[in-house]
Amino acid sequence: MIPLVLYVLLSSTMFIIGLYGLMTQRNGIKLMMCVEILLNSANINLVAFSAYLPNVNGQVFALFSIALAAAEAGVGFAILITLYRLYGTIELDNINALRW
Amino acid sequence: MYSDYAYLIVGLPVLAFVLTIFLGWHLPKGGGFFTVLATFAGFILSLGIFNEIYPTNTIVHQSAHWFSSFNVGILIDPLAIVMLLMVTFVCTMIHTYALGYMEGDPGMARYFAEAGLFTAAMLGLVFSDNLLQLFIFWELVGLCSYLLIGFWYRKPSAASAAKKAFLVTRVGDIMFLAGIVLLYTNLARIGLPDGTYLLQFQTIYDNLTMIPPDQLTWIAILLFGGAVGKSGQFPLHVWLPDAMEGPTTVSAMIHAATMVTAGVYLVARMFPLFYAAPNALTVVAYVGGFTALFAATMGIVMFDIKRVLAYSTVSQLGYMMAGLGVGAAVGAASVGVSMFHLIGHSFFKALLFLCAGSVIHAVGTNDMREMGGVFKSMKWTGLTMLAGSLTLAGFPLTTGFFSKDEIIVTAYEHGALGLSWIPYIFAILAALLTAIYTFRLWFLTFDGEPRSDYKKHESPWIMIGPLVVLALFALFMGMPAQENFYDYVGNNFEHYGVDFEALAVVGGHHVEHAHAVHEPFIIKILPIIIGVGGILIAALFYSRWKRFSPDMFTSERDPLRHLLLKRYFQNEIYTMWFAEKVVYGLALVSNIFDLKVIDGTVNKISQLLVGFGSVLRKLQTGIIQNYITAIVLGLTVLLIVIKVAMEVAI
Repeated sequence: MIPLVLYVLLSSTMFIIGLYGLMTQRNGIKLMMCVEILLNSANINLVAFSAYLPNVNGQVFALFSIALAAAEAGVGFAILITLYRLYGTIELDNINALRW
Repeated sequence: MYSDYAYLIVGLPVLAFVLTIFLGWHLPKGGGFFTVLATFAGFILSLGIFNEIYPTNTIVHQSAHWFSSFNVGILIDPLAIVMLLMVTFVCTMIHTYALGYMEGDPGMARYFAEAGLFTAAMLGLVFSDNLLQLFIFWELVGLCSYLLIGFWYRKPSAASAAKKAFLVTRVGDIMFLAGIVLLYTNLARIGLPDGTYLLQFQTIYDNLTMIPPDQLTWIAILLFGGAVGKSGQFPLHVWLPDAMEGPTTVSAMIHAATMVTAGVYLVARMFPLFYAAPNALTVVAYVGGFTALFAATMGIVMFDIKRVLAYSTVSQLGYMMAGLGVGAAVGAASVGVSMFHLIGHSFFKALLFLCAGSVIHAVGTNDMREMGGVFKSMKWTGLTMLAGSLTLAGFPLTTGFFSKDEIIVTAYEHGALGLSWIPYIFAILAALLTAIYTFRLWFLTFDGEPRSDYKKHESPWIMIGPLVVLALFALFMGMPAQENFYDYVGNNFEHYGVDFEALAVVGGHHVEHAHAVHEPFIIKILPIIIGVGGILIAALFYSRWKRFSPDMFTSERDPLRHLLLKRYFQNEIYTMWFAEKVVYGLALVSNIFDLKVIDGTVNKISQLLVGFGSVLRKLQTGIIQNYITAIVLGLTVLLIVIKVAMEVAI
C-alpha cells in the first residue's frame, strides 16, 4: 500500500502548482485550469485520507467537489466566452472596465 | 358635570377647522356655520363650567402625564374662566358677522377653517395648566395670525404684513422661550421630588420663594418680552397696525379676543412671579404706560379708520399692562383690574372693528377723508359705533369708564405710595387722547356731509345683529359686574395658596395697604372730566358744530405734526435703518462666516477624505492575480501567527 505521505506530497505539489499559476498567469483559460488543479489537489487529499482511515465520507465529499468543479467550469467558461465576444480577447489584464 | 367636557371647548373648534377645510368648498357659506356653532358650543360649555365653579369658588384641574417632567392639562380658575367666556362669546359674534362680511369671497372656506383654528388656539392657551403647553398654543396663535393677516395673500401688502407680524412676534417668542428655559433650569435646581411637573403653574407658584431674586427678575423680564411681542407693546408694537391688511373680522379677532390679549393674560397668569420681582414689575408699568400714551398720540393723526382703531388697541393694551405693572402697590387686586379692562376692551374693540368693517363694506374705502355723513344711510352701524366709542372714550357709567378709571386709580395709588408717578401721568394723558381720537373717528365718519360719492346702504342683518349684542355688552356690562369681578379674579391666586407677603419679602418690598391711600376729590373725578372733555374737544374740531380746525393751531411745517404723521419715523427706524442696515449687514457678515468658516470646515474635511481615498484606491488594481497573491500572503501570515500563538500558549 502506497504510504499516505506520498499522496499528501502529490496533493500539496499540485496545490502549489495551481496557486503559482493563479498568481502568475494572465490568460482566462489558464486561470480556469489552475483553479481546477487546486480543486483536484483537494480531491486527492480527500480520497487518500478516506481510503486510509477508512471512512467513505471523504470520497462522497470528493464526488460533491467534482460536481461543483464541473458547474464552476461551466459558468467560468461561459463568462470567458462572453468576454471574448465583447472584447475579442481573454487576456484578463485588458478587461478592466470596472476598475478605477 | 360640564367640567368633564372642558376639553371640548378646544376640541370643537378644532373639529370645525378639520370639517371646514375639507368639506367647506362644497357647503354654502364655506361651511362657516361649523365654526360659529363650535364656538357657540364652547361658550355654552364655558357658561356651564362657570356656573359650577363660581358659586362653590373652586377650580377645575385635569392633568395627564406627557413625558419626563411635563404634563398636559386643563386648568380653569377664575382668571381662565373669564377669558374663556369672553373669547368664546366675542368670537361667536365675530364669526356670525363674518358669515355676512365674507359672503362671496372665494376663500371663504379657508377663512372659516383658519378662524376656527385661531379660536381653538387661543382657548387652548387660556386653559393650559402648564407653561410649556401654553407656549405651544401661543405659537399656534402666532401661526394662525400669520395665515389670517395674509389671508388675501395675492396682495403684496397683505403678504408682507403677515410676514412682519410673524417675525416681530417671533422676537418676543424667543424671549418667552428663553424665559421658560431659565425658569425650568431654576426649578430643576431646587430638587423637587421626582414626578413633579416642573412647569405646572401650581409648581411654579409654590416654589417662587426658592428661586434667587436676580434669576426671578430675569425670568420675569424674558416672559414679559414674550408678552410685549404678542400684545403689541413698545417697541414691538409695529406689527399690529400693519395687521389691518387682513379682512376686518380678522382684525377684530386679533385686536379684541384672540391674539393680543394673550400677552396680557400671560403676565396676569404669572403675576406672582412678577410680584416677587419688583424691578420687572416696574418695567411692565413703564412700558405699558408709555405704550398707552405713545400709541394714542399716533391714533390722533391717522386717517385710515382701521389704523386709528389699531393704535387705539395698542394704547389700551398699554393700559392693561400698566394696570398689571402697578400691582406692586396693590398686589393681586391689580390682576382683577387689568383683566376687567381686558374683557371690557374686547367687547368694545370687537364692536368698533366690526362697525368699521360694516362702514368699509358699504363705503368701499378705509379713508375717513372720503367718508362723512355715513350716519344718514347706516343708522344701526352709527349707533352701535357710537356706543363703542363712548365706552372706549370712558364716558361715565359705560364699561370702559369703570375699567379705565380703576386702572388710573390704581396707578394713582402706585404714585401716592411713593413708588412712581410716571404710570399715572402716562395713563391720564393717554385717557384724554383716547377720548379725542375716538370721537374724531366717529365724527369724521358719521357726521358732517358726504365727502365723496359712495354707495349708501345698511349692512345685512347677520352683520348688524352681532353689533347690537356687542354694543349692549360694551355699554352695560360694567356696572353690575365690576365689584364681583374684581373680587373673583383678584383672588384668583388664593386657589393656589400663593402667599403674596412672602413673595414681597423675596422681592424686597412690603405689601402696602393701598386702599388706605386718600384720594383727593379732584383725582376721583378727573377721569370723568377727561373723558367728557376729550369728547367735547373732538366735537369742537370735527363735528358739524365745529368751531376750530386743526390747521388753526398747526401748519404743514410744524415739526410735531410732521413727527406724528410720520409715526415717529418708525418705518424709517425699523425698516430702513434697523432692517436694511443692521439686520441686512449682519446677514451679510453671517453669510460670509457661513461660506468661509462653516462651509469651509466641512469642505476641507471632505477634501481630506477624498484625497486619502484616492491614495488608498491605488491598492485596488483590478488585477485578480494581485488579489490572489495578497490572499495567499495574508493566509500564510495568519497561519504562522496562529501556529506561533499555539506554541506559546502550550
